[in-house]
Amino acid sequence: MTQLALRDLRWDRARTMRLLQEYGVYAGVLALVLANIVLTPNFVSAENFRTQAVQVAPVLIVALGMALAIGSEGVDLSVGSVMALSTSLVALYLGYGPAVAILVAVAGGMVVGLANGSLIAFIGVQPIVATLALMVACRGLANVFLPQLKDVRDPTMASLGSGSVLGIPYLVLIAVALALLVAFLVRRTTFGRQLLAIGDSRPAAQLAGLPVRRVLIIVYVVSGALAAIAGVLATARLTASDPTSLGNLMELSAITAVVVGGTPLSGGRVRIGGTVAGAALIQLLTATLIKHDLPPSWTQIAQAVVIIAAVYAARERGRR
Amino acid sequence: MKPTVRLRRKSDPRQTEQRETDHRETDRRKSTPTLLTAGLCLSLALAAGCAKSEDDPSGAEDTGKDTNAGQEVAQPSGDQKMCDLKTFGGKELDLKGATVGFSQSEKEANPFRIAETASIKAEAKERGIKLLTANAQSQFSKQISDVQDLISKGADVLVIAPLNSDGWGPVLRTAAQKKIPIVTIDRKINATACKDYVSFIGSDFVEQGRRAADRMIEATGGKGEVAILLGAPGNNVTTERTKGFKDRIAEKAPDLKVVFEQTGEFAREKGQQVTEQLIQSKPGITGIYAENDEMGLGAVNALKGAGKKPGEVQIVTIDGTRNAVQGIVDGWIHGVVESNPRFGPLAFQTLDSFTKGEEVGQDIVIKDTEYTEANAKTELGKAY
Amino acid sequence: MSEPVLAVRGVTKRFPGALALDGVDFAAYPGKVHALIGENGAGKSTLIKVLTGVHRADEGQVVHLGEPVTFGTPLEAQHAGISTIYQEVNLVPLMSVARNLFLGREPRNRFGLIDFRRMHRAADEALRDLGVRVDVTRALRTLGVGAQQMVALARAVQVDARVVVMDEPTSSLEPREVRTLFGVIRMLRDRGIAVIYVSHRLEELYEVCDTVTVLRDGKLVHTGPIAELDRLRLVSLMLGRAMGEVRSEGLTKFSGDHDAGGEPVLSARGLRIRHTLHDVSLTIRPGEVVGLGGLLGSGRSETAKAVAGALATDAGEVLVAGAPVRTGSTPAAIRAGISLLPEDRKAEGIVPGLSVRENIALAALPSLSRFGLVDEERVDRIVGTFMKRLRIKASGPHQKVGELSGGNQQKVLLARWLAMQPKVLLLDEPTRGIDVGAKAEVQKLIDELAEDGLGVLLISSDMEELIEGSDRVVVLKDGAVVAELAGDEVTEDRLLAAIAAHPVDVEGSQR
Repeated sequence: MTQLALRDLRWDRARTMRLLQEYGVYAGVLALVLANIVLTPNFVSAENFRTQAVQVAPVLIVALGMALAIGSEGVDLSVGSVMALSTSLVALYLGYGPAVAILVAVAGGMVVGLANGSLIAFIGVQPIVATLALMVACRGLANVFLPQLKDVRDPTMASLGSGSVLGIPYLVLIAVALALLVAFLVRRTTFGRQLLAIGDSRPAAQLAGLPVRRVLIIVYVVSGALAAIAGVLATARLTASDPTSLGNLMELSAITAVVVGGTPLSGGRVRIGGTVAGAALIQLLTATLIKHDLPPSWTQIAQAVVIIAAVYAARERGRR
Repeated sequence: MKPTVRLRRKSDPRQTEQRETDHRETDRRKSTPTLLTAGLCLSLALAAGCAKSEDDPSGAEDTGKDTNAGQEVAQPSGDQKMCDLKTFGGKELDLKGATVGFSQSEKEANPFRIAETASIKAEAKERGIKLLTANAQSQFSKQISDVQDLISKGADVLVIAPLNSDGWGPVLRTAAQKKIPIVTIDRKINATACKDYVSFIGSDFVEQGRRAADRMIEATGGKGEVAILLGAPGNNVTTERTKGFKDRIAEKAPDLKVVFEQTGEFAREKGQQVTEQLIQSKPGITGIYAENDEMGLGAVNALKGAGKKPGEVQIVTIDGTRNAVQGIVDGWIHGVVESNPRFGPLAFQTLDSFTKGEEVGQDIVIKDTEYTEANAKTELGKAY
Repeated sequence: MSEPVLAVRGVTKRFPGALALDGVDFAAYPGKVHALIGENGAGKSTLIKVLTGVHRADEGQVVHLGEPVTFGTPLEAQHAGISTIYQEVNLVPLMSVARNLFLGREPRNRFGLIDFRRMHRAADEALRDLGVRVDVTRALRTLGVGAQQMVALARAVQVDARVVVMDEPTSSLEPREVRTLFGVIRMLRDRGIAVIYVSHRLEELYEVCDTVTVLRDGKLVHTGPIAELDRLRLVSLMLGRAMGEVRSEGLTKFSGDHDAGGEPVLSARGLRIRHTLHDVSLTIRPGEVVGLGGLLGSGRSETAKAVAGALATDAGEVLVAGAPVRTGSTPAAIRAGISLLPEDRKAEGIVPGLSVRENIALAALPSLSRFGLVDEERVDRIVGTFMKRLRIKASGPHQKVGELSGGNQQKVLLARWLAMQPKVLLLDEPTRGIDVGAKAEVQKLIDELAEDGLGVLLISSDMEELIEGSDRVVVLKDGAVVAELAGDEVTEDRLLAAIAAHPVDVEGSQR
């Protein structure tokens, strides 16, 4: 009889792991919010939630592109540098007005994505290598374009960074709109379906006549564009263009958000809702530790724990 | 980037045409990324070409010129250890005809490094001395080989802004064999002064922290709660600026409590994010001590975003960049303690005296000024 | 009879939405070869997975040497002396043959490092015992599938197994290799090892097995000595149909000849790929099933892939209905109406993580979309139609294809291509690794499709299937066409004669 009981227990564990992997990130966000409501003074205020949302917006936008890249069984390490490139382009072109500057910055990000995608799709360079090369190149280029921090005084940029509609900051609105757009792209379009198939089984997708190269290039162009938009928004918020430090380690934050959100690194699946929650989870975690004035190393340790938990949950699934 | 380079070579259109006959398919496939890569380079080159950036209302005049003379020795050199040619073991030479090698540690991407390099260059020009420069781009191994390069290129004396304090043994030995006098600036090397190198010229970061504390006490009246935006963790500048600040607060204003210490990693964005969290969770904060100007400016951004008014939260920072001093003028920042980057005059003067056979100090602490409401407007031009 | 080495009693295993095993008893005895057969979804794979610790039974017991046990992992089962050789060889392709043989138990020298000399010698001996001669220092993946399988078998024998489970071991072997394998199985049996043998090839069961257990729909149908059961009865037990019905339908589902007339719907001329294909030409007329015969490595799959644009050719042209198709481009071939069902269904065919629905719609997506947006209603319609028409068994259109049985996966792939309304279907081993019932269904489908006017190219290692299914057979050897049989010539004798006409030089990797 003990055996039977044991079996039940194990079965329950397997089910728990599956549930954890599917909904763990949402539960984590909820738990953190609840804990903060109890423990953190002044946590329950519109201003606070606005702050968290604004801070997470650029990370989230980058993570959306990263989710696509990871879904295609790749990765885009160049996103942080693309943000830097984008901020330097904004500063360089602001003389023509903010609209032109933003367009140029986003176009720059897309060009980088095009280079990433071409290296990967046509030459067959592994994504990690191709995007690493572009990561180094773009950071260098950004610093050549703009060797040091430059203030951005344009009022349109400033209001983009700090303005709001009905109490919701533009940054948050833009991030939400982009998340919905990418979710739509993944779920409803031919491109999304093809992307998942390519990520799951490249040989099968190839033999099924899918436009593998085109899809891969689009993935990286979109990722580049999103990173550039994140760069523009971060610039607007900082009211300064700082290509040396902007976007540093952003690729890791984005990968963390995606992985914690339940998108497997092995490709074939993209969870946009999970990615949003993953980004929120990391943001809340950081905020909690800062608000309680815990040593910064704790933040890193806490992040590591979350990542390990996410990878562990994913591993359970892989074993079946 | 290897494949890119190779492809760019292949992108010669004539070559593509020639091959087209037998390997049309493969070439078509390969020439597409070629074109894309070439296009990328071209478009990015163009991007810089037709750029037109925002006009700078503050008028960015050259920082290195008339302000270059602004470095003084903080202490009289009499009460400390000295060094001369006899002890060091070199021979006299005239700095005028000598070659000076300068090894910079980080790329000139922040105001401090820019002003530092500019100052060295300007002083060399003024004295008519041949200057060789190198930049390690924050890689220590590169700095070591940079210094070796400078020596082999015939530098008679060296000015080094070290990236690290340790690991200089082999290079110093090479230099010692050739009896090349070395002056290190802004950071110290862990080696014997007057044997492995001549002098160190730099700021006293602990003292900077103390002075920042004085400013903070003055601004808050010695009461209330203050937050510290720490610099990058594990950096001696961070530890020393923190130590000086806390010691002085404990000593002079026990009613002023440090309630919050989080790193802003010396970056404006991080300083802004941390301050945003801070003013949410501790709305009653009276003062913010930022361990560099950039984080302080980030804090100003955060306060503006939260609808605070200038002066509601007192901010004290260290460095003395133009933006921060402008912040004083605008009323957002209470005081800025300068960390003087203009080592040029003092470094060359030290080397000049030394090579002539005179005594120089082993540890030369430069005098850092302060910017407050009283002098910010007039001294703005001096800020870097 | 002695005690069983490994047995299960009253084992039940449920999966979401399906009862995979329902109170099954099974026992393997030392020195016996025990056949385990059944249709798709009968529960063979699940039973094996329960026996080898991959799955845990929901009810019932696993009994090992008389003791009830619970294997938590396949490794625990391995330590208990149970070795499994799967259909798809699961070794490490990039490591050497010897490393694979000794993976996890490499001989060590006194420094604790791997003693390569000793390992290579031992590996060489172990393989020679099984009649396989390969360079054991080569990477496993450079070997043919058959040789890889022998390595897997050698590994199983090496670990002092008491029970060896073989899941379709012959599905990718050449006849000569099958003989070797049977020799090894008999050797194992004589050593007192219990062999559990899963296969769909009836001849093999009668040749090598002592006992047979038939499963159907997760239930035990029959267990007993195989000699007491004739082939027809065995088939009827598996299919759960009356004897007469089976007899009347014959052993394959092919009707025989089709009316093939008119201009060729596909003609390939002078296809060349270095070291692989030498001037291969063939034509297929609408409504015709053309078989592609030959031994393993004769260039059959490569021919199909070259025609479908999946392999770049050095020379040659492909025409569909007289119009030239750009070679070396899968999309171009698909647009022209060529569809390929690849040999390696799992790696190149299905997209395992996507649903049945997405898999079926995959190739046809652009035509099921408007302005890049998928028209979900049309997809549902098409998927519904084909799931019904091809009788795809799944819990629903949203089940992951990776969870389906082989036969149903193959049907999903067929559906994917039929949704494209192709002119030519290239079928590379369409019935390999799927059970008798699904095999018959697929065969019948091929027949129907040809009758509807499709041109079909059929590659099969199953002689019976090739001969009964094809109107014409093109025989390949070493990448060149050596014979073409049509009409009454399409017989087993003629085919064998054609293949054997010249001394067969099997590729080095198979030796």
